[in-house]
Amino acid sequence: MIVAGLLLVLLALLGAPLFAVIAASAMIGFSREGIDLSVMAIEFFGIAETPVLVAIPLFTFAGFLLSEGGAPGRLVRLSQALLGWLPGGLAMISLAACALFTAFTGASGVTIVALGALLFPALVQAGYSERFSLGLVTASGSLGLLFAPSLPLILYGVVAEAPIDDLFIAGILPGLLMLVLLSLYGYWLNRNTRASRESGSARAFLAAIREARWELPLPIVVLGGIYSGYFAVSEAAAVTVFYVAMVEFVILREVPWRNAGRIVRDSMVLVGAILFILGMSLASTNYLIDIGVPQRMFEAISQHVSGPGMFLAALLVFLLVLGAILDIFSAIVLTVPLVLPVASQFGIHPIHLGIVFLAAMELGYLTPPVGLNLFISSYRFDRDIVAVYWATLPFLLVLAICVVIIAYVPELSLFLLG
Amino acid sequence: MEPVSRHPWLVRAEKLGRAKENVLLIVLLGGLSTLAFAQIVLRNVFSIGLPWADGVIRLAVLWLAVIAAIAASRDGKHIAINLAERLVPDRVRRPVGALMDLFTATVAALLAWYSWSFVSDSRAFEDVVLGTWPAWVFQSILPVGFALVCYRYVLRFASRIRVDRR
Repeated sequence: MIVAGLLLVLLALLGAPLFAVIAASAMIGFSREGIDLSVMAIEFFGIAETPVLVAIPLFTFAGFLLSEGGAPGRLVRLSQALLGWLPGGLAMISLAACALFTAFTGASGVTIVALGALLFPALVQAGYSERFSLGLVTASGSLGLLFAPSLPLILYGVVAEAPIDDLFIAGILPGLLMLVLLSLYGYWLNRNTRASRESGSARAFLAAIREARWELPLPIVVLGGIYSGYFAVSEAAAVTVFYVAMVEFVILREVPWRNAGRIVRDSMVLVGAILFILGMSLASTNYLIDIGVPQRMFEAISQHVSGPGMFLAALLVFLLVLGAILDIFSAIVLTVPLVLPVASQFGIHPIHLGIVFLAAMELGYLTPPVGLNLFISSYRFDRDIVAVYWATLPFLLVLAICVVIIAYVPELSLFLLG
Repeated sequence: MEPVSRHPWLVRAEKLGRAKENVLLIVLLGGLSTLAFAQIVLRNVFSIGLPWADGVIRLAVLWLAVIAAIAASRDGKHIAINLAERLVPDRVRRPVGALMDLFTATVAALLAWYSWSFVSDSRAFEDVVLGTWPAWVFQSILPVGFALVCYRYVLRFASRIRVDRR
């Protein structure tokens, strides 16, 4: 059994698709217990029994479609007109715009490609150092993970069977904390540099609003709908798809119809990859819970760890390592079912755990050697990967401080829930 | 990825397959969005509910997931840890890749086989979904999907081996 386990880990590290590794581990486990392996299909069919899952393909497609057209450019111009007059304003704008965009597109690297590509030259031109600008766009690529309607939040809700609306509300303050601390860092670092400022003109502001008039209602309708409880998550997803498709294909006609097939394929391939792993892990998780792994984990851990404080510290270290090797979706699907029961025995609220989990995984996007954002940035801006590591490091540290605060101040996540 | 064979039939099959995946994905996603949106409009404007809609949407998500996973297998876009790509020396990368493809194809073949037995059981027991529809019709996407994923990885394996021999 141990040999088989090590072999599977080796296969995963050598690049075998994770769904196959997970399926193989579940099949080995079930056959050892003498359970017929058609249980794999029964568990996988569970995808058709999970109502909120429909939100995943819908939001993913809407996000891909949104980044095809001119929305990223308009978002940048609008926020520039809004905040460009502040010292360190452009850095703040970049952070806020990226966070909003990532919340809607699900941190799949789209933000760096679509928004970062506009912001990076703008930052450098405005007088920010190249290193700071590179680090900023790389770090902001996954900022906004904690805001509705981000895909990882939805997936955590599905896997942990936690109310997704609550997760959306719980993410607000921790997400804002990350934004504020990064903005302060940007402000402090550039307090003496003469980064040029846009003089705030009412005309430019109105022009930017006019230009973005079709996108502006989207966050208001979707976020307002979700936060007020008017829409369920899957309904908000349907409204978003309908709205974005109308704007991009019919009203603005920025995306030609002939591209629809490619956008559908590109976005659904990501969805298929995520849901395939989810389907397999439905089976493997059930096996692990059946043989009592979470209970044994709890017993083993509580021999060395006393109290929730120490458990959280251990959890953060674990998540940091996990985030450096696994993408956020696989990490959620694979580890949340095991970590959740252990964490709740230590008295950690499942919603708080979700926010800590995602916040810590957000660091994983920026952790060498395999953080996804680092590679996308290095590729997109044609910079050496080591240069990207160094440029991103200070942002990583600021975010790490945020994660520690988020972990040890549960009120930050739970306060708005009452 | 190099084509496995330049035989015109196979080339045509590849093109047709991709187009079919795209059409199915568009139809499923389009239908899904339309149905989900229509439900909201009907409920809020006309106070009408479609009792069958939720069940249909959930089954459509399953089909979408499987077909998208077939497409992901074709494009080589399944989620994997990309450590090896950077650490394994160039010389052994191809054989290691071939080994991974073989492993994946084997797992997919087993999944296809056991899903087939799940579907036949369901057919024998006359399971139903959505009220009166035979469940096996909707479940049959599982063996078909896993078999196609297996086929894709066999092709990937074959193409790596072929180039090796040259």
